Amino acid sequence: MFGRSLRKLKSCPLLLLLVFSLLCSLSTARAQDRLDTIRQRGELIIATDATYPPFEFREKEQILGFDVEIGNEIGRELGVKVRWLNLEWSGVLGSLESGKCDLVMAGVTITEERKKKGYLFSRPYFLSGQTIARRKGDTRIQKGSDLKGYRVSVQMQTTGQFAAERMGVPKDRLSKFDVLQDGLMDVRNGKSDALVADLPALKEILRKNFSELELIGGLITEENVGIVAWRSSITLMSGVNHALEKIIVDGRYAAIYNKWIGERLTTRVIGGLDKARKAGSDVPEWLNSAGKTTPESGTKMAPPSASALSIRWDVIREALPAMGHGAKVTLKITFLTLLFGIPGGLLVALGRISRFPFLRWIMVAYIEVVRGTPLLMQIYVIYFVLPALKIDFQPEAAGVLALSLNAAAYIAEIFRAGIESIDTGQMEAARSLGMDYLGGMRWVVLPQTFRRVLPPLTNEAIALLKDSSLVSVVAVAELMREGKEIATNSGSATTVYLAIAAIYLMLTLPLTYLARQLEIRWQPISQPRRRSLWSRKGA
Amino acid sequence: MPILEITKLTKSFGALEVLKGVSLNVEEGEVVAVIGTSGSGKSTLLRCINRLESPTGGRVVFEGSEVTAQSVNRVRREVGMVFQRFNLFPHLTALQNVTLAPLKVVGTDREQANRDGMVFLEQVQLAAKAHNYPGELSGGQQQRVAIARALALRPKLLLFDEPTSALDPELVGEVLAVLRQLAKEGRTMIIATHEMGFAREVAHRVIFLDEGVICEEGHPEQVFTQPREERTRAFLARVLNR
Repeated sequence: MFGRSLRKLKSCPLLLLLVFSLLCSLSTARAQDRLDTIRQRGELIIATDATYPPFEFREKEQILGFDVEIGNEIGRELGVKVRWLNLEWSGVLGSLESGKCDLVMAGVTITEERKKKGYLFSRPYFLSGQTIARRKGDTRIQKGSDLKGYRVSVQMQTTGQFAAERMGVPKDRLSKFDVLQDGLMDVRNGKSDALVADLPALKEILRKNFSELELIGGLITEENVGIVAWRSSITLMSGVNHALEKIIVDGRYAAIYNKWIGERLTTRVIGGLDKARKAGSDVPEWLNSAGKTTPESGTKMAPPSASALSIRWDVIREALPAMGHGAKVTLKITFLTLLFGIPGGLLVALGRISRFPFLRWIMVAYIEVVRGTPLLMQIYVIYFVLPALKIDFQPEAAGVLALSLNAAAYIAEIFRAGIESIDTGQMEAARSLGMDYLGGMRWVVLPQTFRRVLPPLTNEAIALLKDSSLVSVVAVAELMREGKEIATNSGSATTVYLAIAAIYLMLTLPLTYLARQLEIRWQPISQPRRRSLWSRKGA
Repeated sequence: MPILEITKLTKSFGALEVLKGVSLNVEEGEVVAVIGTSGSGKSTLLRCINRLESPTGGRVVFEGSEVTAQSVNRVRREVGMVFQRFNLFPHLTALQNVTLAPLKVVGTDREQANRDGMVFLEQVQLAAKAHNYPGELSGGQQQRVAIARALALRPKLLLFDEPTSALDPELVGEVLAVLRQLAKEGRTMIIATHEMGFAREVAHRVIFLDEGVICEEGHPEQVFTQPREERTRAFLARVLNR
């Protein structure tokens, strides 16, 4: 059949030509340089994560900061307007690969690892370094090497995390948060002892919001901050480098620096910047000076550009152990939540339909509050707010508790609907046989209810398995979190996310299958001909 | 002493007064048929005896002690009930339906309960269907299982709430046959029914309930052939289609 359709294609040269020309136009679009594309569209798109003052942060619907003003000046030099794309950090670098943005400016440190993954860096435009935040007066932590004895928070996949790892902090003592501020809260609440991050950002955030914390004096690493592009954007990067040089020389850089960093720009800093020039990616000199000649072997330095839809098996292979660990954590959390949530939901449902108005009222309030507020908020409250009342949970316990409380409310309504759908004659028959209310529930009404609510309960369990990804905000390393982490610096976020999706599917399908088997086993009446292996008929 | 004494029983649902003072004594071994139009209060009267409805006023005394909210679970073990719509437990087999109460309420051991259960199913001629689920049985078979279930606690009084009204006409006979057999064994029964021929044949006493009061009671021959009350006559004329 396949052969025949191929022959058909051959007999249709016009179609073939059409496909061919389409492919050609696609590949020329790829080959065309990014800088030309940007000039044509008149807009330079820069992705950032605006939770990082003074580099970038949001104020009254606007993104402000050091990076933003530098970026806007670069746009002016290139003759285009700049559009800022505000993303969560885990998605920022990935948006380069998928072509959603042209550049990333998010206080990104230039590292060899990132360069190897296919990211192209500009010359450094800021000299930075990692430092440590601790609770005020906590003198146990003085320098980098002190960290390894303590619980340390970081923003995931930042050079802060890498520095903490280099200092020997073990994996199980390292809490990785999506947002730097959550990590600082963790330190303030005493769950972590220290946080590692960029000095300027930490200084600014502590000044504004965390008077209980302080920095150790000095840096534990020195770093160069650069602008990032995808590896094929060589001419764009040389344009960026030109623009940076010009901005630094003509004094605009100094003005911006003074305004946001809060110190005077000294010649020493400029000297440092110039000395670190080599830290950026190696953009060929002939491009930096001449500009427009076409290179013959311009791709020699970077592997050929992968399209956003190609699967990188090497990335998957490398990420498999971490994803497996994440899947285990996700399963564990889901299992524990169902273990508490189903009996909990049943109790709430029984309270909800009980004869005692007070009990009914409490249960209604519980259900409404839980259903009416976002799960994310509930997780936050249990992990970050309850410690203020001296109720303290470890991340996983907090996650399971929040999910269980949440699931119980939804499951309660499923059970209530199930119980109320059972004919009242069933309870009457049970009571006419001398059973009390609880006995009638236990032996007659609930067994029938379980059979009836199995499909919606399965729904809830599957939704729960996926919702469990929300507990990653309190640094639980479940599947989605591991995926995000890998995707952040992998060079192929597409591959990672597709792999994660496949793993979720592999987790949910067996759940569906099990529920279906249970349903068949439990439905002796309506499906007499579809008995499962476990059927008790003929016993 | 009568096994059951009902005195000035009243029951209202909101503004609707369904029973308006019913008094009735039932002797041991007696079969009482309760007849009357739909809505005359037959079901409510039966359900007030084992307190599936709590009476608004009056007294129900079973074996010399009053049936109250506190004593009701004990009374219910001695008073079996069969419902118009069977109310079998659909998730259990016929045998499990019969043995559930002995197992969970009385605490009989499983082997004994199963042996007894088979005897009760034998009695309603359904031993062969012991391991079938209610969904696999006909209406008549289901009602016979329900009777076996009511017998399983060896009750001293049996209440039948229109046991054949939900059945297809061709299935009525098999259920009535079982009732006839029970009457012959000398069981004490109160049967709310629309089967006039059956009531006349089996009952020792017939009670005609009309608008919440006992309009007429007496021996079946007397009530059916020479009713004293005009309302009884009109009712019988209607249902006997003459």
